[in-house]
Amino acid sequence: MKKSLLYFLVVLAIFSSCKKNDTSVFSQTADERLNATLSKYQTQLSGAQYGWKGIVSPAGGGTYSFYFKFNDSNRVKMYSDFDSTTATTIKESSYRLKALQQPSIIFDTYSYIHLLADPNENAGVVATVNNGPVGAGLISDFEFYFDSTTVDTIRLIGRFNGSKAMLIRATSAEATAYNNSGLAAGLLINKILTYFKRVTIGTQIFDFNISIANRTITFSYLDGNIVRTFITAYYYTLGGIVFTNPLVIGNGTITGFSNMQFNGTTETIAMTVNNVASTITGIVVPIKVDIAAPKRWWDFAVTNNNDYWTSFKGFHVNGLDDAYGISRLTSGTNTYYYLIYWPAYAASNDFFGPIFLNAARTQLTLIYGTAPAKPTFTADGRAVFVQLGNYGAHPTTGAAGLTRTKLYNSSGYYFVQTSATSYDMVSALDGKSWITWNF
Amino acid sequence: MPNVDSIAGLGGDTWVKGAIDKYIFDSLTVPYNSSVKYKYDQFELEYLNRTVVPIKEEKVIPVLSAMKRIWIDPYTAETNSNFFKKYGNKFFILTGSGSYDPATGASTLGLTSDDGNKILLTQLNYFSTKSMAGYKQSDSSILRLFFHVIHHEFAHVFAANVTYPFSFAQVGGNLYTSDWTNVSDLEAKSDGFISNYAQSQPGEDFPEMVSLMLLEGKSGFDKIINGITYTGTSINGSTAAQAQSRLRQKEAIIVAYFKESWNIDFYSLQTRTRAALTAMIY
Repeated sequence: MKKSLLYFLVVLAIFSSCKKNDTSVFSQTADERLNATLSKYQTQLSGAQYGWKGIVSPAGGGTYSFYFKFNDSNRVKMYSDFDSTTATTIKESSYRLKALQQPSIIFDTYSYIHLLADPNENAGVVATVNNGPVGAGLISDFEFYFDSTTVDTIRLIGRFNGSKAMLIRATSAEATAYNNSGLAAGLLINKILTYFKRVTIGTQIFDFNISIANRTITFSYLDGNIVRTFITAYYYTLGGIVFTNPLVIGNGTITGFSNMQFNGTTETIAMTVNNVASTITGIVVPIKVDIAAPKRWWDFAVTNNNDYWTSFKGFHVNGLDDAYGISRLTSGTNTYYYLIYWPAYAASNDFFGPIFLNAARTQLTLIYGTAPAKPTFTADGRAVFVQLGNYGAHPTTGAAGLTRTKLYNSSGYYFVQTSATSYDMVSALDGKSWITWNF
Repeated sequence: MPNVDSIAGLGGDTWVKGAIDKYIFDSLTVPYNSSVKYKYDQFELEYLNRTVVPIKEEKVIPVLSAMKRIWIDPYTAETNSNFFKKYGNKFFILTGSGSYDPATGASTLGLTSDDGNKILLTQLNYFSTKSMAGYKQSDSSILRLFFHVIHHEFAHVFAANVTYPFSFAQVGGNLYTSDWTNVSDLEAKSDGFISNYAQSQPGEDFPEMVSLMLLEGKSGFDKIINGITYTGTSINGSTAAQAQSRLRQKEAIIVAYFKESWNIDFYSLQTRTRAALTAMIY
């Protein structure tokens, strides 16, 4: 009894001798630390004398490159590899730093970085900014929180979709290059007008075709006797392009094309690959022709319900999609819907021609067309089309006339199967015309 | 002791002011106590889960200048220079794109908060008037929508301050429906409603009538009403004559309300707003 009272008194004494201690782990308050952090990021951003190179990877996929020059008055200038305008015309807009859940940077008025996030429109107005679905765009971000930094790099993460962005301090030479359209160099690939393009690096040869819309590049190369294909996404960088996934060949790795320059006389591109002088040339016959493809294309339609192949955009010629303007074709009050090729349309001929939509937009209608014989499938992998006759009053000029003439070019066409239900039909005359068929 | 001045962001975001900020201050804040937020702030949006992009800087002043000419100036001319300071909406949020529900794809174009003070304007990156580079007449649809939203939201302010007569709701009677999204504008007109949204409830019928009368002008609005000429009856049993009559009755109630409760000559206001709009389109 006395002992417990003693213990009690001791404990009481100990507790009553405790002093409340306000000292925190940090020497500054949370707000002071936040302000200091924001201030530090501000200094780093606007203190970079030559600006920042940026790589933005939207949560929805793909990679885009940028150049940013921030000042200390909430103004930012940027370039982007989004298209030929954004790569060459600098745009100024505003930004601010803010303490949200984490310290963040907000690009708060519209500029190139917003092109990726733009939701596009289909209500009130119809607009396609990027090719993403309405309401979502490319699933990107324009508000980022600071994830980590070093002296020369800043890693950001998108607040809405979690896109990743990395800024790398630019050098004086790089800043000068951006301001002199250096980011547009990769677009020179568009100046090679053939479907098949060939890279020659010393003795190595790779064929490729490029989808500018999807920002992907497909390589074909010979490995002994076998043709290998490799597909990768790419983005543009100063002087050329960078592959998201490098091409590994033998014991070498190709990460992109650099120092690209176009020679208008020879219609070739000079560049370096891993510091080795290389070229891109246009070719008519690819490294390995899919000899069976033309017949496969023809048979597929017959086997699958005697149906037909369709093309919305018609022929691409010399760098222009829908070169003949077939999408604007009309016949009376009927408007163009798509172009079709119908194998075995009749007992002894196929059908090739435009299909029209009536004025009420309720029905598709066939007004005229041409009747090619079943094509000749050559031993070297081409289909050659010959006219047997025509249906209806086929125009001899204009989009329909030009399209018909193009089909019957005596050099014929190579076929490239791009998926289970799509083929590209490429002119064997000069490789600079092609049409995409879908089923 | 923490210093209140060091609390990050307290009092709102700050930035170095530029020409746009000066324009807003001089044209809207000083005369009317109104403020405009054009720099993106996710928390000013109605829905936090929607992808909305900020406005292009080059659109801000044209948008606000148009707002003044089609809205502030006509009302001021019919009242006095203090009218807008007292009744005008105080907060405008400008955004660049539409606002689309990720689940359904449905869009919301223009919004106001419950107290009528905040107006959220959308799709302004597509805003264009005759005096702006690259304008084509099809762009006028955005301008019309802009006009419609602003005047619709302002009409709510009138109704909130002075109730309009009960007789207005009686005209439509039991034809109002919560299923208005499944009614076409044509069907709505056949029952005597100026738009499908007007048919949702009297509280929206009133601002829809006001805003569309001001948008179309007298002859345009007359043309719409006189164009309701179907034979037989609508799904709800209305005849064309009844539909026309209901719209005319509501028009009369509105004109009387503006005169009696606000001393505003509605037809004069209508002439002004329509003239201001057409000057930007044609």
